[in-house]
Amino acid sequence: MIVTVTLNPAVDKVYWVDSLKVCQITEEEFLTRATRSSTSAGGKGVNISRFLSAFGTENVAMGFVGGNTGHVVVRYLQNKGVTTNFVWIHEETRINSIILESGRDHSPNLINDLGPQISEAELERFMRKYRRIVKRASWVVLAGSIPPGVDHGIYGELAEIARENGARVVVSAGGDALTKALPACPYLVKPDTREHLLLEGTSLKSTESIIAAGQHVIACGAQMVVISHHVTGDIAITPDAVWEINAKVPTSEFKNLVGADDAFLAGILYQLSEGASEEESLRFGMGAGIASAESEKKICEDRAKVEEEMKKVSVERIEEGA
Amino acid sequence: MKVREIMTKDLTAVEKDIPVRELIFILDNAEMPNVPVVDEESMLIGFISEKDLIRAALPGYFEMLHSASFIPDMNQLASKLAQIADDPIEEYMRSDVLSVTMDDDDLRAADLIIRKGVKNVPVVDDQGRLVGRVRRIDLLRHFL
Repeated sequence: MIVTVTLNPAVDKVYWVDSLKVCQITEEEFLTRATRSSTSAGGKGVNISRFLSAFGTENVAMGFVGGNTGHVVVRYLQNKGVTTNFVWIHEETRINSIILESGRDHSPNLINDLGPQISEAELERFMRKYRRIVKRASWVVLAGSIPPGVDHGIYGELAEIARENGARVVVSAGGDALTKALPACPYLVKPDTREHLLLEGTSLKSTESIIAAGQHVIACGAQMVVISHHVTGDIAITPDAVWEINAKVPTSEFKNLVGADDAFLAGILYQLSEGASEEESLRFGMGAGIASAESEKKICEDRAKVEEEMKKVSVERIEEGA
Repeated sequence: MKVREIMTKDLTAVEKDIPVRELIFILDNAEMPNVPVVDEESMLIGFISEKDLIRAALPGYFEMLHSASFIPDMNQLASKLAQIADDPIEEYMRSDVLSVTMDDDDLRAADLIIRKGVKNVPVVDDQGRLVGRVRRIDLLRHFL
């Protein structure tokens, strides 16, 4: 069983607009009317759970939820076939707003809420639940931002508990939450942006510098690090190899980039959990990411579409390992 | 149809040592009339409902009364509830818990819900670990 942890889930509200009006003078000018909208459960781990369920993999989504928006998250996931195991809190689950402007769909405008304050008692309740469920897990995904009130070292602590229980850990995060998780040797690491792996005195613009940063994480004990290089290309570093993954697709085909990164990671995880090779997993992951970017929905749940996109993906071993 | 096809896949549950106060918060916020009690291995060991708490907070003779009008006010209930708020729920939970497995027929779940008059039935795996629940509304939705 795969357990996904999203400590700061959200209701994702997507608005499609013809033109986003900002800093206009008259009331008529600053009103932007959406041509349509959609509501779904959001957050990195939540997105990964949604993908896994669509592909038939049993998984449990956990984290904190509260208020009416918390019910939206739980209900949405249950309707998608995800098993839910959230801790109910006093404050309300956040809402993230995504505005997709016609013709600029590939660069969405995002307003991400900070999220609810988590009390010590709520965190303790989560830890008890986590310790219980992790005994049944083969993989644990720790993904997304840390809500107010929770120490940024939490992913390190959760990763350690998962490892003690024999589960492999995936961390998809940024900043302190990511760096503090590395000493717990997660199996798979996906930084939010490559800058989160910045080594002192380096910039991560060249392929070489990205590889060096990834190899630094591998030296900490990780088995795979996946780092974004450009929109349709990533670099994966393992102890044995360095892989360059590229998709030959025009970005003009992209309709919604939100969630595509999570679909990419979910695709890799899905394949690894099924025992596929690294190369196969990376190809499938990129296919899933591209298929999601080309779909208006955040996450592409259509296996045929993912497999079609995989044909446009090249996975090349560019270097031997560290 | 099997239970696995109609059940709500939710693992909301409590441990027997949590205080009544915390249980009320969970029942209220999760909008559940009752909740399964599990041990550290997620094994189903009991069940506790709003009804169990109300019964625990009411005077012992309440159920023998024909009408609540014999009770002067709600002060007795409020003060008893305050007295038990920090008690572990273990003192008020029921251990004779009904359950179904994922591979049971939907008919078995329906039978338990209808005959026993419960609002939902916990679902366990072949080792007795909680995996979800079948609610009355799950039955209605799937039989429509």
